[in-house]
Amino acid sequence: MIFWRGENKVLNYRPDEVIVEIGSEESPILRNLRRALPDVPFTLVEHPKSFLSALQASRDPFGKGKRRLLLMRHKGDFLKKCPGSDGQVCCNYFVINFASNCPMECSYCYLQDYLAQNPALKVFSNVGDLLEEAHKLLSRHRRFFFRIGTGEITDSLALDPYIGISEEIVPFFAEQPNALLELKTKSDCVEGLLRLDPKGRVVVSWSMNPPKVIDDDEHLTASFDERLVAARRCQEAGYRLGFHFDPMIEYPGWEEDYQGMIERIFALVDHQRVAWISMGVLRQTSSLKRIMRQRFPSTRLLSGEQVLCPDGKMRYFQPLRVRMYRKVLRWIREASPTVFVYLCMESKEVWKQVFGFSPSCERELGNQMAHH
Amino acid sequence: MMDQAIHEYGREKVFQKQTLDRWLKLPEPDREALLELARGLRIGENHFRDFLDWLEEISLRDGASLSQILKGKSIALIWSDSRLGRNDKLKRIKEELRRLRFPRLVRLEGEIQKKIRQMGSGPQIQMTVVPGLEGGALTVQLRATSHEELQRLLAVLRQLSERTEMKEIFDLLAGREQGAELSA
Repeated sequence: MIFWRGENKVLNYRPDEVIVEIGSEESPILRNLRRALPDVPFTLVEHPKSFLSALQASRDPFGKGKRRLLLMRHKGDFLKKCPGSDGQVCCNYFVINFASNCPMECSYCYLQDYLAQNPALKVFSNVGDLLEEAHKLLSRHRRFFFRIGTGEITDSLALDPYIGISEEIVPFFAEQPNALLELKTKSDCVEGLLRLDPKGRVVVSWSMNPPKVIDDDEHLTASFDERLVAARRCQEAGYRLGFHFDPMIEYPGWEEDYQGMIERIFALVDHQRVAWISMGVLRQTSSLKRIMRQRFPSTRLLSGEQVLCPDGKMRYFQPLRVRMYRKVLRWIREASPTVFVYLCMESKEVWKQVFGFSPSCERELGNQMAHH
Repeated sequence: MMDQAIHEYGREKVFQKQTLDRWLKLPEPDREALLELARGLRIGENHFRDFLDWLEEISLRDGASLSQILKGKSIALIWSDSRLGRNDKLKRIKEELRRLRFPRLVRLEGEIQKKIRQMGSGPQIQMTVVPGLEGGALTVQLRATSHEELQRLLAVLRQLSERTEMKEIFDLLAGREQGAELSA
């Protein structure tokens, strides 16, 4: 069971130790870490094996894994196609994994299950390889337009004040004619971005929920207001914005909270510079639910009226979630009639019930988003 | 004493350690109420886990203990009904727990079933929706033994499709319920 000290700010995170695998000494990430964390001990190891096995043997490997930061070379591919979810409409998205795990603690986070066997908080030191791989892919397929995100198995910006990853990758993507980079976050760590020129090629997006949901279930993340102020600052610095209303949570009073949230967002940001908004309800696999029961036994997210869907994920039963999507869509349209809105990990049937149509193929949806 | 009885029950039904641990971690009145239920219905591990999951989730939502839920009127009535055998009791109690766990879903499923019954399509035209309503579809099955019969059934189906109830079923499946019954 996890206990919170009532503090909700991501920048309060500091690793207890940085473990550096041999071979990472020349990395710009290590240089940035040393500069940003002068009081934190750094340990050079030949192989982090003993650290990893001790972590796996602990009572809460996923939570404990966040306490130390492991800097190591990534040996596989950095760029992957987003796996989406079986049988659901997909948006043809690519992901770059520059890190694994995240310093925040959302009770519903799927990484608790996805990274159960690999829970260490890792940052990959060979950024040069990452950029080379991206360059090869983008230059080989110049006629194809890529949307690429870094927030699949980590938060895109939460560690940025320490590792400075945005300074490494934003200038590269700013020069690519056939790619749009999306940095997805629940933090307000945007200082590093404000010094850079995205040249229209970078979308900074926030996962947004009403303050009640953030307080109850998005521990160690930035508050709603902090996220919104950070979004405004990014917009002023030339970035396009994205908002992900995902996971949407249903509870008594959710309508007022979500409507208020949408009104507050569009009162502060220019809707014409919002690249896209996604909607998706809370999703859980049965194994994630088991983990949530152990780690967050009092979260009310466990008691929603969710049913098992064909892709193995539990969602609010269809008439209920379709009704939620329609309402949220209506509030978005009242604030911004033209912003691009899509559903994340939903079936064609749900798309039709919400929008009256469904994309004919994943490329169609991806293209619409890229060129909106 | 009670924990020993729980261990014995778990051994007899070959429960996994994780399931037993969950049971043993509960407060004493809840452990006891579950033991009484498990023994009375001779529940295997899969059913037991469903019961435990749903009870814990209802408890979390409603702030009632597991034993309070199990001793509630609706379950107590089934439990004490001497006309029901073990299988019927298990089925009815599970249905009742599902109703407590998913009140709006079960109410909506019931509404749809009611409208299907109101249309009185007869045994040769079966209309069903899947439990949980995922997919948003109504399945219609025709059973004909001749071409003429099929044509007659199709004509009946056409008439049924014009009925208000039929339109309302699709509205319910698409979350277009009148009133605020789906609201939290």
